[in-house]
Amino acid sequence: MKRPRLLGLVLKNLVSKPATIQYPRVKTPVEPDFRGVQYADLGKCTGCSLCAIECPADAIKMTPIPPEYEVPKTNPRRIYPLINYGKCVFCYRCVKVCPTNAYIATNKYDIAGVSRLTSEAFSLTTLRRVGS
Amino acid sequence: MGVTKIVEIPVVTTEVPVGPQHPALHEPLLLKVYAEGEEVVKVEVNTGYNHRGVEKLCERNTFYRDIFVVGRVCGICNAVHANCYVRALEQLLDLHPNKRAQYLRVLAMELERVHSHMLINAVMAEIVGFETLFMQIMLDRERVMKAKEILTGGRVLADYMMVGGVRRDIDEEKRQRIRELLLKLKPRVEYYRKVFEEDETIVKRLVGVGRISYSEATSHSLVGPTARGSGVKIDSRVSDKYDAYGEIPFNLVTRSEGDSWARMMVRWDEALESIEMNIYILEHLPSDGNPVPDERRLPRRFPPGEAYTRVEAQRGELTYYVMSDGKGQNPYRVKIRTPSFNNIINSAFMYIGYSLADVPVMLTSLDPCISCMERVTVIDLEKNTRYRLDLKQLAGGKL
Repeated sequence: MKRPRLLGLVLKNLVSKPATIQYPRVKTPVEPDFRGVQYADLGKCTGCSLCAIECPADAIKMTPIPPEYEVPKTNPRRIYPLINYGKCVFCYRCVKVCPTNAYIATNKYDIAGVSRLTSEAFSLTTLRRVGS
Repeated sequence: MGVTKIVEIPVVTTEVPVGPQHPALHEPLLLKVYAEGEEVVKVEVNTGYNHRGVEKLCERNTFYRDIFVVGRVCGICNAVHANCYVRALEQLLDLHPNKRAQYLRVLAMELERVHSHMLINAVMAEIVGFETLFMQIMLDRERVMKAKEILTGGRVLADYMMVGGVRRDIDEEKRQRIRELLLKLKPRVEYYRKVFEEDETIVKRLVGVGRISYSEATSHSLVGPTARGSGVKIDSRVSDKYDAYGEIPFNLVTRSEGDSWARMMVRWDEALESIEMNIYILEHLPSDGNPVPDERRLPRRFPPGEAYTRVEAQRGELTYYVMSDGKGQNPYRVKIRTPSFNNIINSAFMYIGYSLADVPVMLTSLDPCISCMERVTVIDLEKNTRYRLDLKQLAGGKL
């Protein structure tokens, strides 16, 4: 029986760079439209709760916006979708069903940790504080 | 403390539990193997370690939320699951997606087939003790994952199917990039196919192991590459011609040997066919309108009715039954029948007569997908009754 030519492959791999990406030190390349972290732009959000109703993982909870922020008049109930990224399955159903296209889609994927578990910090930066 | 008396107990068979937590099998399935010496005399397949109640979950969620729920039945065949369910919904609504959407659906499903077949072949290489080959195949599999990421936005979970079309379109640049990735991948897959054909380690471990004859494959209702490895011409892509499969040229791959090696070779040949199909799709992609429906304007109410669809998943024929009572926004019933359920539970006869060391090889050659197969309802046609088995009975292997 013939042996496949493995020797060439072995020699090639000896001189070539390792294929492993040293992840935390070297960023893994992802596409610009990779389904990463998404959050609501509260300048556009009307608080209609459609994303919370449609979310297949029940990851979105409508939450009152803290009083120190200026809220646009289109959001009379002063609520915004708070996404729990621990529950989120990143299917982007919320992004696609939003009637005002309020969601901002990013390709961020390194969300492990304590501080970035919800979309609170991302969403509230889209609003201005009262008096600022 | 000395030994005073030695009692010899006659050993007829030894029970060797393979799984559910086993380092070689990766998935929670218990094979109770009864061995006489090294020879396997009986195998009991016990499941029920991974039951998540997906069918019940589908009844509790709306039709549209279920598209993403059924995508999570199985990670590696999520696009086919979603496609089958979405086509059932389209039957209920009498909707027909345009040609471009159909081609893009086939593209996503065939990319998934390539990476699934590469994965199981890599796992097989690992199980026979050829870990370098495992690493090499997994490295080249990254190209398909990248192509899938470009097409759908997710490396594994595509979430690509939507009622009336797909969820994102591709432009000229993406088309070229996917095509280049596939053209680079093709010689590699041909090379691995040759390695599986000629390498001494693989041939010694796989050839003649776990032989299933044509009549056994049909009488035990085996599906997919497992049946095609025994020469059974069964493929719902050919027989149903759903989506764009009627317009894309491809060959039905069968082999007559019926052993583990033939099943793996069927998978390599199918992977090559899928790459050819994908290149054909990318070169002949029709542009007859927008394939992406506006998800805000899709019908909210579903008329009462039933739909039954099937697709050829990577492991065989996958069917969905969706029933709508027309009252609410939730389906009344969603029944999923997965190929692994047929292949694993009905194949206990295959192990008998082979050595204990061949059991993992034979199991891997069936491409088990445990998260797919954890469901059971028994229907007695003679008495016209149906009953469910609870997990305790299932774990005891009683039917």
